[in-house]
Amino acid sequence: MAAFGSLCLLLALALAAYNLLAGALALRLLATGQTARISPERLADTARRAGIAGFWAVTGAAFALVWSVFTNDFSITYILEHSNRALPIPYKFAALWSGQEGSLLLWAWLLGIYGFVLRLRHKTDVKLYAYAGTILAGVQVFFLLVLNFAAPPFSLLKGAIPDDGNGLNPLLQYPEMVIHPPLLYLGYVGFSVPFAFALGALMMRYPGEKWIRITRTWTMVTWLFLTCGIFLGMHWAYAVLGWGGYWGWDPVENASFMPWLTGTAFLHSVMMQERKGMMKSWNVWLIFSTFLLTLLGTLLTRAGLVSSVHAFAQSSIGNWFWVFMVIVVTVCIFTYVLQRSHLETEHQLESLVSRESSFLFNNLVLLTACFVILWGTLYPILSEFVEGSKVTVGAPFYNNVAVPIGLFLLFLTGVGPLLPWRATSLKAVKRNFVLPVVALWATVAVCLAAGANPWKGGTFSTGSFYALVGFSLAAAVLTAILSEFLRGAAVIMRQTGRNLFAALWLLVRRNTRRYGGYLVHIGVVVVVVGLCGAAFNRNTESELGLHSRMSVGPYTLECTGFTQDSNDNYDSDYAVLNVYKDGKKAFQITPEKRVYHASGQPQTMVTIHSTPEWDLYVVYEGTNPDTGQPIIKAFLNPLVGWIWFGLLIIVMGTAVALMPSLSPATAAVRVPLAQATPLTQAIKGGD
Amino acid sequence: MTETEGLIAGLFLLFALFVYTFWPENSFASQKEKTRLDFLLERKEQLYENLRDLNFEYRAGKYPEEDFKVQRAALEHETAQLLAEIDVLQG
Repeated sequence: MAAFGSLCLLLALALAAYNLLAGALALRLLATGQTARISPERLADTARRAGIAGFWAVTGAAFALVWSVFTNDFSITYILEHSNRALPIPYKFAALWSGQEGSLLLWAWLLGIYGFVLRLRHKTDVKLYAYAGTILAGVQVFFLLVLNFAAPPFSLLKGAIPDDGNGLNPLLQYPEMVIHPPLLYLGYVGFSVPFAFALGALMMRYPGEKWIRITRTWTMVTWLFLTCGIFLGMHWAYAVLGWGGYWGWDPVENASFMPWLTGTAFLHSVMMQERKGMMKSWNVWLIFSTFLLTLLGTLLTRAGLVSSVHAFAQSSIGNWFWVFMVIVVTVCIFTYVLQRSHLETEHQLESLVSRESSFLFNNLVLLTACFVILWGTLYPILSEFVEGSKVTVGAPFYNNVAVPIGLFLLFLTGVGPLLPWRATSLKAVKRNFVLPVVALWATVAVCLAAGANPWKGGTFSTGSFYALVGFSLAAAVLTAILSEFLRGAAVIMRQTGRNLFAALWLLVRRNTRRYGGYLVHIGVVVVVVGLCGAAFNRNTESELGLHSRMSVGPYTLECTGFTQDSNDNYDSDYAVLNVYKDGKKAFQITPEKRVYHASGQPQTMVTIHSTPEWDLYVVYEGTNPDTGQPIIKAFLNPLVGWIWFGLLIIVMGTAVALMPSLSPATAAVRVPLAQATPLTQAIKGGD
Repeated sequence: MTETEGLIAGLFLLFALFVYTFWPENSFASQKEKTRLDFLLERKEQLYENLRDLNFEYRAGKYPEEDFKVQRAALEHETAQLLAEIDVLQG
């Protein structure tokens, strides 16, 4: 199968190169009106079909690698290093992205899928799609060059073939790892599509903003994949790494977060361009930056530039990525300089207190956060380059900067929808902000009464203070969003006589994009509430002999025994713990420690008992070599479940936003030419 | 699958994809250049949507009367200009 896979990769490279060259030539001929032996339209169509054919070739290569994993073909070095015979079937799939070569193949395959769909839908706007398809082919050529010449996944083992492989990294043998990396990659790779459309639209001086409408679905789906990928990564870190947290500002976590920040900024600011023809240059550079950050993320994850628990594959393909990034930046700058007159704004910002300005602030805050994280992530590399010693940046740096920025962003999430477009009068501010402000101060009072007091015990707790601000802002934002729903529903109730729920349903269906977006904001609020819970985390560690007890929060843990298990893949030690709450036995948990046969590596399997109030998180850390006693570490992490619940709301909101809105009810009214207000009548039935 | 079988399968795929890419087809899609009129018609839809949004938000109580009148007048002025240009282009 190695020969078939290698041939497929070579074929895919040839097809992508043809797509790029023939596509570019055809577009050049069309732009200049020159003639050639073959018509430019026909040439462009062969380029498009080469792109589709290239997808099948990359699919063939991906299939060959998966087939080799399942048939235990250890003559292929990659399979030997990332799989073994006893590896459970789901993790055999995970072997595809557990190493550098496989994950680059996954990148190329996902790009092939996106390109396949894009090229099939080319009739939406033939010329724009031809530009986008050609640019995607350029990206694909780079990844296929790397796969063919720098990191070939089908390279064969020299010498005798071992009977069994080295196995998959134990950290990756967790259910989420079967879906987290593909989702993250779908997000990373997906941003190539809006990038290609934006660059293509700029190259061809696309008249108007329709390209944004065309790419909206792509951008939102991509953003959703990246969001889900990041959250699943958080959950994986929480459930596998055993340190009780879900986000450690690890460079690879940061690498996935940065394009998310710029992508989120793009999703917001692009609305300004669509509605008012503003911020065109800004948006173009936002999507260019997002794409470059996805490349940087792949580089950090795959080239071993930074030390990370997530950097599972390390090698020296960094130079390839740097060269490609320089090429991309050069093309972007060149195109921008050449076509910048096309990006002149159609309207100016009229007031600092308006919906437009809230979008602008939202963008500035998101970009500030991105820059801070980029600085912290690259600082070890820069310090090593400048001073010769690697200085790492720890979580406190990020927390000190990112938490206030995040809270300000939450504030803008609430303020934005309440501000009218163009300008806001003081009267409008008073009218729209009363309820959220009341909710904010009521929550402050409730939190202080409940004991979330930052000045408790005479010392100031920064964590509690941020949590207090976070809870209060969350309440204000939630009130603001709910009031948006209720006000809209009230209009429909007055107009149609429907009840509240029917009116809400119709409201959402009439403008899925806006109200889906509001649902996403509610999800973000719920996530923030969950994150604020971290200020009140508690933990304790104890050597726990048979029938001895330890307490954390309202729970008491009693050790009732230890047991062992074994299968083809690993040996396990379990601690059996009865958990008591309020003096009564509530449930039993069995934290586990495994040792994998193939790699000989140990791995803790955390037990998490989750409730809306908190998570009881228990780790069996092993045995104290001096006393022979098992060591148990227990955490009580408040509100963690809210984070995962918030993600579900975000997914639901994005799904709503992706649905088409009902067409507005319009009534054409013929009026005499002399009347000055015909437009008002024409649009009256539209809401 | 042996290496030989793999090579044969790969060559078969190569042939199939080559035929698919270069098979002469006469009904390929092409598109006329987008005109200023096309752009204005797209923009008109957007301006109508902005006006609908403004009306709806006013009815929802987000705009005081005087703010609404100013905003509506500005949007209507812009729309009128756009419609006038469309009329000229459409003859």
